[in-house]
Amino acid sequence: MSYIHVQNLSKRFTVRKKREKGSLLREKEEVQALRGVSFDIGQGELIGYIGPNGAGKSTTVKILSGIMTPDGGEAVVGGQVPWRERKTYVRRIGVVFGQRMQLWWDVPILDSFSLLRDIYRVPEEAYQARLSELTEALSLKDILRTPLRQLSLGQRMRAELCGSLLHRPEILFLDEPTIGLDAVSKLALRDFLRWENREHRTTILLTTHDMEDISALCSRVMVLGHGSKLYDGELQDLLRRYDRTRTVDIRYGREGCVPAVPPSVVMEKNGDGFRLTYRPESYPTADLLSALQQAGPIREMTVQSQNIDHLIADMYREMDL
Amino acid sequence: MDTLRIYLRSMGILIKGQLQYPVSFFLQTLAQLIMEGGELLAVILLVDRFDHLNQWGPGDLYFFFGLMSVTFYLTECFGRGITGNFPSMVRSGQLDTLLVRPRGILTQVLCSAVDPRRVACMAVGTVSLIIGSRMAEISWSASKALLLAESVFCGFFLILGLFLIEGILCIHSVKSVEIANALTYGGRSACQYPVDVFPRPLRTLFTVVAPFALVMHVPASHILGKPIFGWPGWTAFVSPLAGFVLFFVMTALFARAMRFYRSAGS
Repeated sequence: MSYIHVQNLSKRFTVRKKREKGSLLREKEEVQALRGVSFDIGQGELIGYIGPNGAGKSTTVKILSGIMTPDGGEAVVGGQVPWRERKTYVRRIGVVFGQRMQLWWDVPILDSFSLLRDIYRVPEEAYQARLSELTEALSLKDILRTPLRQLSLGQRMRAELCGSLLHRPEILFLDEPTIGLDAVSKLALRDFLRWENREHRTTILLTTHDMEDISALCSRVMVLGHGSKLYDGELQDLLRRYDRTRTVDIRYGREGCVPAVPPSVVMEKNGDGFRLTYRPESYPTADLLSALQQAGPIREMTVQSQNIDHLIADMYREMDL
Repeated sequence: MDTLRIYLRSMGILIKGQLQYPVSFFLQTLAQLIMEGGELLAVILLVDRFDHLNQWGPGDLYFFFGLMSVTFYLTECFGRGITGNFPSMVRSGQLDTLLVRPRGILTQVLCSAVDPRRVACMAVGTVSLIIGSRMAEISWSASKALLLAESVFCGFFLILGLFLIEGILCIHSVKSVEIANALTYGGRSACQYPVDVFPRPLRTLFTVVAPFALVMHVPASHILGKPIFGWPGWTAFVSPLAGFVLFFVMTALFARAMRFYRSAGS
């Protein structure tokens, strides 16, 4: 039995357009944010949810976190329907919006946390244990008494995560948590999410535009576009499907060495060496290697697969998003 | 009870946060004092020029002004979440972060802000009440004191209810700050004076629609011994309840608006 069961979820928005001059009524436009999305997620899974802007990711998160009621379809999360009995349901979940802070702005974060303890009715003992655990894992110790507004974005995001996990939610929804963070903060955040997921079997649904997030954290990924689910499965399979080209950078030990390659391989001069782009399926790697070797003594060579962002961009293009 | 505890704790924490900048806090409080002092000055000048307004003498006018001032700024101080931030919370989607917590939305909105600088305005109001009471030679009794407290208490809810209107309209994606302000800030400015000095349309507006007259002027005039509208004494205890009625109507409309919000999205 799956933990999160979503069946045929749909949601339509009415967007009011600006009134044109001379017309009395405002025109309305219907936007179909979700068109029959279905999926199942097991307890303890860490799932990536990707798609271009406006694909319906945030709408899904809003519905699953009980903020919004869908027009059609069903969703059952841990035996409850999110948008009914809001108060009992939200006690079991944690939500982090990357672009919206939920902690109190002018207040030291420790005070915010103790207010959240009261709001969620967490018993004192459980609260202290959880707080010290999270403080440790998120390295918050030195900033507990600092008001939120004085923290950097990375620190703020870590504090937000702590705040949303104090009541030990079974499920954590993250809506673009790494947006605007520097590399170090991103890595720390990913480490933490992996730890929380492993240590407490917290189910995590992660919405992001950062493919590094996905490849570092999620084995399973769902792709959403125009309100429909386009892919659901292993990230590696998805990449394999679109990751068809390799790039080789090569430099020879002698001047004047030019490898002889067929026209299916794109070769360009790159500094004092060459950059070759090829598709292993049309020109086997072994053949390319021997061609390269025959041209002269190789001093240096690197092989790269495509950048994951390019892959996703290609994929969106192919899926016509 | 638990909810009240959360409210009080929030207030404590928020005030502590504001006091982290004592100089800024002090200066802003001073600014509030000057602002509300200016309002009082208008009444002083008025009283200096005319020795009465209809049947109301100088003491009466100070008393009415003081009652409005204390009530309105008490609301702006402790109801700041609703009187200040609420519409912008709706517009920015910040309301979403409240919806994912296991508490009522209005409770959380109320817990989200406090404005202790308004104490300065309340002080001006209190001074005006005392001056008015002296000049009008009110003979205080327990029932009159109770009546005053009831008026302030019900006035608090009346003003909260009126401020809720703007939030409700915002949820329905109507921008109508002007309508809402006419009732809240407009109501404050007008009803610093007893409502019977105004022409009939305004009198009706502030008696029936935004019942400042029922909540403040009826009990105050009774305390002053000059019942407004010539109503009998017992009405003074009943009519302030109109503030509660308005508040409950608005919370019901708010609950409806929230259903709309959750189904229509933001």
